[in-house]
Amino acid sequence: MKSINIYALRLAAMVLAVGLGFSMSASAEEASGTPSNKLGPADTVLRGDAKCTGCHDNSDNPPPTMLGLHPEVLAIGKTKHGVVGDTRTPTCSSCHGESTSHMKKPEAGGKRASPDRVFGKHTSNTAGERSGACLTCHKGSGRTHWAGSQHPSNDVACSSCHKIHAEHDTVRDKKTQPQVCFTCHKDQRADSKKISHHAIGEGKVACSDCHNPHGSAGPKLLKKNSVNETCFTCHAEKRGPFLWEHQPVTEDCTNCHTPHGSNITPLLKSRAPFLCSECHDGPHNSKVPAAGNAAGFQGGLTAVPSENYTGRACQNCHSMVHGSNHPAGALLHR
Amino acid sequence: MKIHNRKMQVSVLGLAVQCALAAMFALPMMAQAADATEADDANMRRPSNYVEVGAGYVSEDSAKFGEYNGLNDSGPYLIGNFSVRGGDSYEGGDGTLRWGITGTDLGTTSRELGATVGHQGQWHLNIGYDELRHNISDTYQTPQQGSMGGNTFTFPADFGTINGQSNPSARVLNATQLGAFHTTDVHTDRKNTSFGAGYIFSPKLSLKFDYNHLDQDGAKLLGVGALGAPATTGTWRAEAVNIIMNPTNYKTDTFNLALNWVGDKGHLTGSYFGSIFRDGYDSVSAQNAMLSNTSTAAPGLYQTNTMSTAPDNSLHQLNLTGGYAFSSATKLSGGLSYGRNTQDNSYLSGMPEIFSAPRSSLDGKVITTHADLKLTHQATQDLALSAGLKYNERENKSPSNMYQFWAINGVSTNLANVDYAANAPYSNRKTQFELAGDYRLSKGQNVRLAYEHESIKRWCDNYAIAGANCLVNPGNDEDKLGVTYRLKALDNVNFNAGYTFSKRGADFEGNAITPLAGLNTPNPDDVNALNYPGYIAYPYAKRDQHLVKAGVNWQASEKLDLGLNGRYARDDYNATLGVQDGHTASVNLDATYAYSENGSVSAYASWMNRERNLKAGAAGAGAVNEATSYALLVAPANIWTNQLEEDGNAIGLNTKHKLMGGKLEIVGDVSYSLDKSHYSTQVPYVANCGTPAVLTCGSTPDIKNELITLKLTGTYALDKSAKVGVGYLYQQLNSNDYYYNAYQYGYTPNRVMPTNEQAPSYEVHVVAVSYIYNFK
Repeated sequence: MKSINIYALRLAAMVLAVGLGFSMSASAEEASGTPSNKLGPADTVLRGDAKCTGCHDNSDNPPPTMLGLHPEVLAIGKTKHGVVGDTRTPTCSSCHGESTSHMKKPEAGGKRASPDRVFGKHTSNTAGERSGACLTCHKGSGRTHWAGSQHPSNDVACSSCHKIHAEHDTVRDKKTQPQVCFTCHKDQRADSKKISHHAIGEGKVACSDCHNPHGSAGPKLLKKNSVNETCFTCHAEKRGPFLWEHQPVTEDCTNCHTPHGSNITPLLKSRAPFLCSECHDGPHNSKVPAAGNAAGFQGGLTAVPSENYTGRACQNCHSMVHGSNHPAGALLHR
Repeated sequence: MKIHNRKMQVSVLGLAVQCALAAMFALPMMAQAADATEADDANMRRPSNYVEVGAGYVSEDSAKFGEYNGLNDSGPYLIGNFSVRGGDSYEGGDGTLRWGITGTDLGTTSRELGATVGHQGQWHLNIGYDELRHNISDTYQTPQQGSMGGNTFTFPADFGTINGQSNPSARVLNATQLGAFHTTDVHTDRKNTSFGAGYIFSPKLSLKFDYNHLDQDGAKLLGVGALGAPATTGTWRAEAVNIIMNPTNYKTDTFNLALNWVGDKGHLTGSYFGSIFRDGYDSVSAQNAMLSNTSTAAPGLYQTNTMSTAPDNSLHQLNLTGGYAFSSATKLSGGLSYGRNTQDNSYLSGMPEIFSAPRSSLDGKVITTHADLKLTHQATQDLALSAGLKYNERENKSPSNMYQFWAINGVSTNLANVDYAANAPYSNRKTQFELAGDYRLSKGQNVRLAYEHESIKRWCDNYAIAGANCLVNPGNDEDKLGVTYRLKALDNVNFNAGYTFSKRGADFEGNAITPLAGLNTPNPDDVNALNYPGYIAYPYAKRDQHLVKAGVNWQASEKLDLGLNGRYARDDYNATLGVQDGHTASVNLDATYAYSENGSVSAYASWMNRERNLKAGAAGAGAVNEATSYALLVAPANIWTNQLEEDGNAIGLNTKHKLMGGKLEIVGDVSYSLDKSHYSTQVPYVANCGTPAVLTCGSTPDIKNELITLKLTGTYALDKSAKVGVGYLYQQLNSNDYYYNAYQYGYTPNRVMPTNEQAPSYEVHVVAVSYIYNFK
């Protein structure tokens, strides 16, 4: 803080001098006859960042600084990557590379070379190169299955989703994360608007509650080893094992449910009895066509509507579709 | 602002002169500059904290509008949000302390509170509380006594019985019965309390622990079937099926303890995951309206129907995952899991069963085993290869026994009609093998080839019906081959396209005796789970699947970004009966125009369609035969069909503007979605199937849900640290769903008690004003 105040005083004095019409800076330099490079630039946010933040060279007039060029990048000081007291904290070159070409003055009329590793929209670095910078430190644990998984295989790098320099990394906030995922997963965006949905739009459920975007051993990047294990994390009441199991339920909840949103509550692929008829056509009334009967008397039916087709249809009685622990529950009635 | 440039540096003398001048003429100005510099430095490091307090007003009651946002009741709401962080790590020195407290939506039932503290790189602790009320219905009515969240529902003493009439419009409830109906809000609350801790022993070794306690209460609606006819045949009586408030009195404790080791080339995580679920109720009972309170129950005809509830259960799982880099080009990763899931709740007792269960509890046990291994190799700069293997097994080691019971539709004084069934502890084993190669054809041009083989085996251990298979689909094998092409056509155009073909084979065990087929007596003639011969449930049928997808993104200019993608999948099933084919298709169009640094407009449009076509064996009036053999299943005489169709459309527009030099920020969001579900049935063998008296063919009315949302928020900066926020939300849902027809007074089917639930249409306005105080 002390050195900062010295700079502040110098700056204040310079501004004052200029304002009063005195070219004190130039005069002082000329008077002293000493070169002005005895004090190198100091770090701004990260240890060792001066060679980047103190840009660029003597010929720049006025001298640009990182604050002027890319002020937003310095917000990294507010993030976990900005905790210089943590010995693991990186500096600019940890991620962007030593970038010696970039630091050289370009030929007259030439263009300055890019840093070794650039993470922005117009980068020429591959997704692998970009992610490699992060994986140097962030390895293991939840990223064990990153290599060869869906995201890197489709050129998605860490920086495609994460804002490393921003104080608020939107993808790590439950309320804003879905908007990041929906940038690519647009069918899921549309599904989340449907009448039956998880509380995604309301900010109470995030994609990462079920998925691990960094790779997983489960299907569809699910956090757990299987669809059911993932669902049971929150819906443990359906885990059983039940005395009477419903076979497709024990195998995959998505045989009947569509988790991102549905026109049929609760997150069902279709409405019973039509949903049930995708697996049953023999027992009981599942062999009988339902059609407009399902809309009952108000749908134009003049005969007695059947509880087998209307309302919950099959589930008016077979309500324990996730399994029953009742000794008389073989038909998932009780 | 700090400026580091040698040209700006001055000698000591120069500095002294400057300072002297400054001291003489401009001390106040200098002080201001110094303050500004400190403030800038703080801006770079110190977190942005805020406290927001305000009030909102909701115009209308709606459980659906407030389904998850806590705004289900009309009236005023408190707005309370805050985020405050601190610690010496924000000072830029050697400090590593960070702490934070946050609170959101404090004035609603969606409130959330959290706190964290820790020395980064050493340890951390966090606690959290998260509440979510799922509002299910505010129109549900019941004549039964019993509160939401309770587990006993009875009729008033004077309710009597309801006689079923053949004409629904004549099936009226008398004045006493109607007077018993009352509206009850149905909702279920989820309250999560969490605690987490982590400790870093060394750069290579760390420990992490997470605990979550989920406390649920409330109810969800559930059907309770009951016998619709008295023991003596004749008069059918009505409304024996009840829609009750099934209590969700649940508690779930979840633990996760993980030890992580990270080395130069390898990493390993060993963890324990535990989940313990408890239900506050063992049963839920509902009185049968078909029986008067004084009737004598016949066998299987219960005055009170008793349902089981979700049984207490636990899962304990050990996991080991890790990876090893043989070189920068070759990496291996994998994992092992072993889980033990048990359930031993006592069976219900005291119910009017004349049969005793063969056991007092299931003593259920499921062992889950998982293993995976993946090798990735960057063979050349242009070629990446990977090979993977996955193994998942769910082995249900629960005992299997024969159980006798009265089915709710099988009452008789004749014991020969008593049902028997053997519980089937289903097990399955899935193995997957995959190979993939990613080749860079040229700069910006990649092609990926992937092959996957999946095999599933299903069985039951110790099935009580000796020698029988418990399921008709003991296995599937699927081969999948896919190719994906990615092209960076220009600096600002990215294109991708892919095609995947998969072929699924299926084993079929038609002689299996499933629990359903084993009803009454274990009868080897009751094959194919009582489905018609040739009927195969869609998840297990042979299937060819084609999937095509493509997308293009065009950065038309620095300001304009356009994207278009689509997907089409077609399924063809090889089954005599059951799902025959289906498809899903979607197209999405996106555009973003960032017209300046202070504003952008983005828009999207999405369309999707899904269709499934089914065939089923003949049944019902007019059928030539209720087919019992393949030979009789000949269209059109003995086949009817179903078509299930879904359409979805969504469009949205989002704008963000900063005005008045950034003091005023306005965000606008408009979206519209329309989703339709439509089911149609063709019964070619019944000429009059479409007449109002029959209606076994034709179409259901569209299930149509149309949602319109307009959201406007604005914040105006009063000064550096204070803002005023104003918000307006308009949302309208037009829901048209025949589902509710069945539950209206006078229109219920022959056996269902009305609930008078209404489609959840609503039109709600919300206004909100808040004061936001920002500080560092």
